[in-house]
Amino acid sequence: MNDINYRSKLDFIIRVGGEGGDGVISCGELFASAAARTENHVFTYITYPAEIRGGFSMIQIRVRDWTIYSMGSKVDYLIVFNQEAYDHTIHDLKPGGVVIYDPDHVQIQKDLEAKFYPIPLTKLAVDLTGGVLGKNVVALGALGELFQVNKKGLHKLLKDRYGQKGDVVVEKNLKLLEAGYSAGKKNKLEKKFHLKTETDSKHNFMMLSGNEAVALGAIAAGCRFVAGYPITPATPIFETLTKLMPKVGGRAIQVEDEIAAISAIIGASFAGEKTITPTSGPGLQLMGEQLNLASMVELPIVIVDVQRGGPSTGLPTKTEQSDLKYAIYGTFGESPRIIIAPSSVEDCFYQTIRAFNLAERFQMPVIILTDQSIGYRKATVQIPDVSNMVAVKREQKSGKIVVPTAGRIEIASRAIANSAELVDYKRFLDNAKTGISPITIPGMAGGQYLATGLEHTEDGKANYTPEVHKQMTRKRFRKLTRLSAILEKNPKEYYGSTKTKIGIIGWGSTEGAIREARYIAEKKGIKIRQLHPKVISPLPETKIRHFLMGLKQVIVVEENYTGQFAHFIKAKFGVVPIEIHKYEGIPITPQEIYAGILKVARIVDEENITRL
Amino acid sequence: MKRTLQDYKSDIKPVWCPGCGDYGVLAALQKALLALEIPPEDIITVSGIGCSGRFSHFLNSYSFHGTHGRALPTAVGAKTAKPDCTVLVAGGDGDGLGIGGGHISPVARKNVDLTYILIDNRVYGLTKGQASPTTPIGTKTKTSPLGVYESTLDVLPVFLAYDVSFIARSISTNMKQMTEIMQAAITHKGMSIVYIMSPCVTFPVLKSKEMKEMYQPLPDSYDPTNKMMAFEMAYKSGPMYSGIFYQISKPTLDEQLDSDFEKATRNNKSKPYSVEEVLNGFA
Ligand SMILES: Cc1ncc(C[n+]2csc(CCOP(=O)(O)OP(=O)(O)O)c2C)c(N)n1
Ligand code: SF4
Repeated sequence: MNDINYRSKLDFIIRVGGEGGDGVISCGELFASAAARTENHVFTYITYPAEIRGGFSMIQIRVRDWTIYSMGSKVDYLIVFNQEAYDHTIHDLKPGGVVIYDPDHVQIQKDLEAKFYPIPLTKLAVDLTGGVLGKNVVALGALGELFQVNKKGLHKLLKDRYGQKGDVVVEKNLKLLEAGYSAGKKNKLEKKFHLKTETDSKHNFMMLSGNEAVALGAIAAGCRFVAGYPITPATPIFETLTKLMPKVGGRAIQVEDEIAAISAIIGASFAGEKTITPTSGPGLQLMGEQLNLASMVELPIVIVDVQRGGPSTGLPTKTEQSDLKYAIYGTFGESPRIIIAPSSVEDCFYQTIRAFNLAERFQMPVIILTDQSIGYRKATVQIPDVSNMVAVKREQKSGKIVVPTAGRIEIASRAIANSAELVDYKRFLDNAKTGISPITIPGMAGGQYLATGLEHTEDGKANYTPEVHKQMTRKRFRKLTRLSAILEKNPKEYYGSTKTKIGIIGWGSTEGAIREARYIAEKKGIKIRQLHPKVISPLPETKIRHFLMGLKQVIVVEENYTGQFAHFIKAKFGVVPIEIHKYEGIPITPQEIYAGILKVARIVDEENITRL
Repeated sequence: MKRTLQDYKSDIKPVWCPGCGDYGVLAALQKALLALEIPPEDIITVSGIGCSGRFSHFLNSYSFHGTHGRALPTAVGAKTAKPDCTVLVAGGDGDGLGIGGGHISPVARKNVDLTYILIDNRVYGLTKGQASPTTPIGTKTKTSPLGVYESTLDVLPVFLAYDVSFIARSISTNMKQMTEIMQAAITHKGMSIVYIMSPCVTFPVLKSKEMKEMYQPLPDSYDPTNKMMAFEMAYKSGPMYSGIFYQISKPTLDEQLDSDFEKATRNNKSKPYSVEEVLNGFA
């Protein structure tokens, strides 16, 4: 059964909205966890205000009996705690959708095509506990009733979450939950889908956020040093790694700023460790000078930029794909680096491992570009099978190392100089084929060398002659040429129809939304070819030309204003793409992309005009 | 085989102006390393940018010459990843007190076990003679043609306020004192700063002859564990003192991280958890 033709029996989207501090997110997350214990897949999307309290905050949860690629488009169920949440989200409700609202705080429009159920969330919470804080658990109870969620399961989740606060708190929450169930019953909620049956058959799945997946990928890759400085929305990666490092014998330090963070990971890499620093746009910007120092002294480091809305402090808690140009070209001088953009929560895990493999093998910085939407997204993913994870030998050619997937994970490390290479050791030996030189680490007798940010000769001595600058610039960039050649041989990253005149290109977190838009289009008879490279720079040029062959129109989808990837594609391949941009701080939906595809299809194929 | 001074020299000859104070500082450091018999392959040297920032080029060690002002945080990473190595940091007053000044306090608070040789010529040498944080008020430099108006940074009291666990001052003409202090600093567990006055002969804000007269060793009776006394002596200007002003013992970053490991693996017989076990923790 292929993805396109799969017909879901269960596929719905819930949105819970309220004020920051209302417990909206935890209500949604608990429901998502309960749904994840059934046969179904779960996918969440969170947006919250930059302030700790106040401001609009919401969580969207999609539940489906099949793989979920995106957060979907319109919403089936809306649970709103206050007027602002209602006003913000009501236009996203599907016609005939369900609204559960707090009648004491929300004024509804009766003439809308929707089913309204008033449940006095706040009043019920106050009556039971004397405070308003429990209203989110009442809402959870109502959702439990609506989808006939196994009550025991929810009890356990509440105990796990509030157990630390003592039995009294747990008891209170169980009562609030019960009140939600009864209120739901009283309202005679119309039940369309049920999440009754918990299952063990999904024991090999777990719910993970993109940020957690990056952190776990780093641990799996053998990274044992992290230095960081807190910044939304990358902080959860740093916090997760800080918690995990001591457990696995690694080390985590919080430092004074992002300059110190990248300096520290360069220092640790010089000392031989696999290293990472998580950050977001403002931090990446501060790292600039050190980033190209790492390129110059040819040390592996991994930087994760969880992009947020910019410029400046911008939209700290919202999503955007607007750091691409800075990542590829940013900083002065010309400094090679590799850019990787994972496409899903699961992919965050595998691409992070790949980032370390590439950093170590090519001795240069790798920037992983994720964004707020994928970082905070939670999805059910298959637990990676690390039992057959293998460390590849030094002699293994980089081109032979597999791209990590659920099927196989190979872990690469830097090629430490052997005894033959230590004779007359040249740290920056100019390898004519690969540009990659043998490296040593402190403690290795006879391997001492100077790593200087000044231009230098093959043996590391400062030298500013025209010949040396020319030779070493080419050497450093040859590594990218080499990588590009390897990418040509990696599995292809485009799919969909081979006989079509329309191509669609995206990068990073939009893969699922584009894929769903393609499915919608294909069901309507519009054939499309989709390209979604994970390594964004360098690109496998021949392969991409192959993808472009025969296409009349190419659409590039991205979440920014200026069309950063489109520029890149235009410059490299001379195509003039049609660009679909969204720059609202929220992810693009399959329907929005489909609307664009439709317009392009009309331009490309006159016949489509009559048929559609 | 007995090591010689030669073993601590790289094959790059220093490029400083003849008479530059930095020659003496480098020689003292090489002597101290020889006296301590530290194998060159176990030494990591990180230096900043400036004339003094070239230190890493001239030492036989794992040497790192990074960017202006960032030697300290780079060294923190190196030490944390390779705690068994001796980590040295070297740089000037512009590098360490100007652009990089913000990094001293965090490293002091972590008490990272490294030795920072801070070489003060009271001027920016490499960029040809502009004012630094330690250029005296009134001095005419290329960026202060009518005289520096900012107050001069009182360096030692700042280090004391940061509670750097080892603080010493010396002068580039006193080879014996420099060497002894450096040995003590390298042996010290925790962050040590050896602050050395070193004249620039080309932009002579600090003059060799005056410097020699200005500084006298701390009295024999001096107790370097008394912080208040250290503050008092650090502020004295007639004469100014040299020697070890302050030395205390407190946990190093390495010790703290080791104890974190013990706590985190208590339920696993003090063995690291496997990747599989970590993943299962999320399932
Ligand atoms: C980011 C940055 N800004 C400015 C410079 C230029 N610069 C190089 S060395 C230096 C000052 C060096 O003074 P100091 O640290 O006192 O060392 P000295 O040369 O006196 O030994 C400056 C401003 C630079 N290299 N990088
Ligand atoms: S300019 Fe001054 S500090 Fe620089 S090498 Fe010459 S004398 Fe030394």
